[in-house]
Amino acid sequence: MFKIDNLSFSYNTNEKELKNNVENINLKIKKGEVVLLCGESGCGKTTTTRCLNGLIPYFFNGQRTGEAYLNGKKISEMPIYKLAENIGSVFQDPKTQFFNVDTTSEIIFGCENLSMPENELKKRLKTVVDEFKLYNLLDKSIFKISGGEKQKIACASVNAVYPDAFILDEPSSNLDSESSWNLRDILQKWKADGKTVVIAEHKLFFLEDVLDRVIFFKNGKIESEWNIDEFKKINHRKLGLRQLNLNNLKVYHNDYYSKNQEFFELKNFTFKYDKSPILDIKHVQIPKNEIIAIIGKNGAGKSTFAHCLCGLERSCKGELILDNKVLKRKERLKKSYMVMQDVNHQLFAESVIDEVLLSMDDENEELAEDILKNLNLIHLRDVHPMALSGGEKQRVAIASAIASKKEILVFDEPTSGLDLKNMMDVSKNLIYLQKLGITSFIITHDYELILETCTHIIHFDNGLIIDNYKIDEEKLKKFFIK
Amino acid sequence: MMESINIKDLITVGIFSVINIILIFTFGMLGYIPILMLGLPIIGALVWGIPFMLFLTRVNKFGMITLMGLIIGIVMFLSGHTWIPIIVYTITGLLSDIIIKTQNYSSIKTSIIGYAVFAVGLIGNMLPFFILRDYYISAMNASMGVEYVNFITPFLQYHFLIILVILTFIAGLISGYVGKLVLKKHFKKAGMA
Amino acid sequence: MMEELNTKLTNKSGFHMDPRTKIFILIILSFMVFNDAPLYISGILILIPFTSLFLSNHKKMATSYILLYLIATYLKIYVNPSLTGPSSMISASFTYTITRMLPVIIMGTYTVITTKVSEFVASMEEINVPKYIIIPLSVIFRYLPTIYEEIKSIRNAMRMRGIGLNFKTLKTPLKLVEFYMIPILISAVKTSDELSAASLTRGLSNPQRRTHLEIVNFSKTDAIFIIFAILGVVMYAYYFIGDILLV
Repeated sequence: MFKIDNLSFSYNTNEKELKNNVENINLKIKKGEVVLLCGESGCGKTTTTRCLNGLIPYFFNGQRTGEAYLNGKKISEMPIYKLAENIGSVFQDPKTQFFNVDTTSEIIFGCENLSMPENELKKRLKTVVDEFKLYNLLDKSIFKISGGEKQKIACASVNAVYPDAFILDEPSSNLDSESSWNLRDILQKWKADGKTVVIAEHKLFFLEDVLDRVIFFKNGKIESEWNIDEFKKINHRKLGLRQLNLNNLKVYHNDYYSKNQEFFELKNFTFKYDKSPILDIKHVQIPKNEIIAIIGKNGAGKSTFAHCLCGLERSCKGELILDNKVLKRKERLKKSYMVMQDVNHQLFAESVIDEVLLSMDDENEELAEDILKNLNLIHLRDVHPMALSGGEKQRVAIASAIASKKEILVFDEPTSGLDLKNMMDVSKNLIYLQKLGITSFIITHDYELILETCTHIIHFDNGLIIDNYKIDEEKLKKFFIK
Repeated sequence: MMESINIKDLITVGIFSVINIILIFTFGMLGYIPILMLGLPIIGALVWGIPFMLFLTRVNKFGMITLMGLIIGIVMFLSGHTWIPIIVYTITGLLSDIIIKTQNYSSIKTSIIGYAVFAVGLIGNMLPFFILRDYYISAMNASMGVEYVNFITPFLQYHFLIILVILTFIAGLISGYVGKLVLKKHFKKAGMA
Repeated sequence: MMEELNTKLTNKSGFHMDPRTKIFILIILSFMVFNDAPLYISGILILIPFTSLFLSNHKKMATSYILLYLIATYLKIYVNPSLTGPSSMISASFTYTITRMLPVIIMGTYTVITTKVSEFVASMEEINVPKYIIIPLSVIFRYLPTIYEEIKSIRNAMRMRGIGLNFKTLKTPLKLVEFYMIPILISAVKTSDELSAASLTRGLSNPQRRTHLEIVNFSKTDAIFIIFAILGVVMYAYYFIGDILLV
């Protein structure tokens, strides 16, 4: 099906600093195979997928040697719309891969582009809707459906073209665990249909039953190759990979971090949208100065809760009681801070140090440098925040929160799309914040992160807290593992 | 080496049109204050500079600026500003394209001038209102006396429009310059321009 | 289930106007801006947006539009002439803006809120509007809601950092513009790249004519509205040309 022949590629066209993003890749993928490309961030797996679906060289300019072939034909010499007939691509961010505003048009978009006749379009829509069970998702605004549903639509829409191969680039990054399992079902269906699937991923737990072969990348080169049985036996952590089987993981911090445990209380956190309540908390006690995981399905009210807690929702009249003081919305806005999923939205200054100084009431450069040192950012002091990697940006946001003396931090999906190393960094930062006396709330679907870091769990469903407990492996497993 | 406009360029035009449209609609709210209404093109010209300069870093083909003008004009038409903006924006877009192309989309000076020309298109939004001037005049006729009106009418008709064009153009030059500075300060450092 | 899908695909319930009709009426209504006619002449054109909104179940908006229009007309005829000084200016600018601009603005609103993007695109393709125009327009419809979300999230981020309209920022207003603009533009560039890549892998660059699922057909409704729009504009034109002839 696919053959890559001694391929090297560099995004950088500047000859002086020529560093290949992938180097001397040789790879053959048989028809009907399901192949995983894995490795640390920046290892070259995404670049390889781009060589296969034609985005290199049609979209990304750069220096290329070697060749990739589809059924014996050079990919670089086929027009990209011809490739679209044979290869279906699904990307990481469902927000930016949709061209249409409603789901039905999106499903059939690829077929329309390929000029299929009208009755064929109808037939295909029906088939795909049936196969993917999309009855309830038809004719909906893409802004009103969850991330998991979007990814399902994305898969359905590439499926509608009936390509021979599917190429997925980190498709589960923004998915909750249930949606990840649904994605597995889709992959299994493709496998059963005899389709070729190439998937580049960090999260591996939902892939165990689907994969045939695993290709491990390191620094732009293929380092090792296993079949699935060999891959199950290797030590994933050692290679910097996420766990393949979540059952192998254990809770790391069995007890609360703080010795003399204090609690704070939340009272009357309610929020309504269009008159229907989407958050309803009468009273709850939460341990102070701990790392608290907030779990629940998409749309369970987690992020509404986070907004209310940080004092961002004017109509939420809830109170937070901390050290016998009642904190109303405006005081909470001063004491809390949210590290957003899209951290780009909260960095404003033109250098890392300015970003930290901006948060201080009295600018104190010495203190700011101290904070940067502790977060391992000092070497980036004068770099523009937008030039940093995702993990570094997140640390800058944390630095600015520390600088403005926040006591409560909320993290919205801090590890989505991160490899093991970066996830461990996040974990380290959270523990550092705990030592500074800060209470962290983490909205997350990342089972690995929770076991590694958290000591307390709040479980949301339908706007209610349905469970609130000290970390407990058995309970967590029930929610995360299918 | 001029290639024809491709899908990527069309999407770029779409995205940057959205930003310009959002800006003009947001600041257009100020238009509910009667005096500021006539100053809207000037305000618009001041806020469009930064996105336009970033847009230019992604333009290397003739026609993209014209197209952006046309698209913004169409959106104005669909949102009830009549078809006058379509014509005006397309013309200023085309002029801007021609000016900036003379230096192959790379000179700072022509970029700024070209932007200022493009920004003059904002007057297109105002023209329908401007055509209403006979009503203001007849209203004043009743209240302020014919002599006064005779004195002020030529102002309202031609001179004011010309003054507005000049002021918008100057605002465009300033904003284009600021846009270039911001580009250097942020996007170059961030490795995006 | 299958039947439901079938009806969803073929049947459009209730009042429905072709996007091309809407655009035609928008063009016609634009002429109203240029001149003023008495109610018995412009009545037809004024009623078109009202009827369209009313029949498509936006009764509240339709009614407020027509009420606002009548109030403005009343003010224009009976109140304005007797006013003096600044109040006359304010009242004049209010009434003239409404009597001339409002119909076209309301028609524009109607067009935007009742047209599905896919339907709009299909009807534009039907009359051979080139890709150069259709693709950027689709991107606009697609990206507008996203950018609103982003602005909201940026504002939240600023509130949590105490950046906003306060002493610190008022000293340098340009900073505030920068704070909003930079994150928005950065995400715009990212969106633009990712959307382009995704659309290319889905065959958008195919030079062949696209087909579409959405079937667009002129119906009786369209014919009726077009006839009334033409009738309206003819009366309008006759009124003014007649005027000139009399002079």
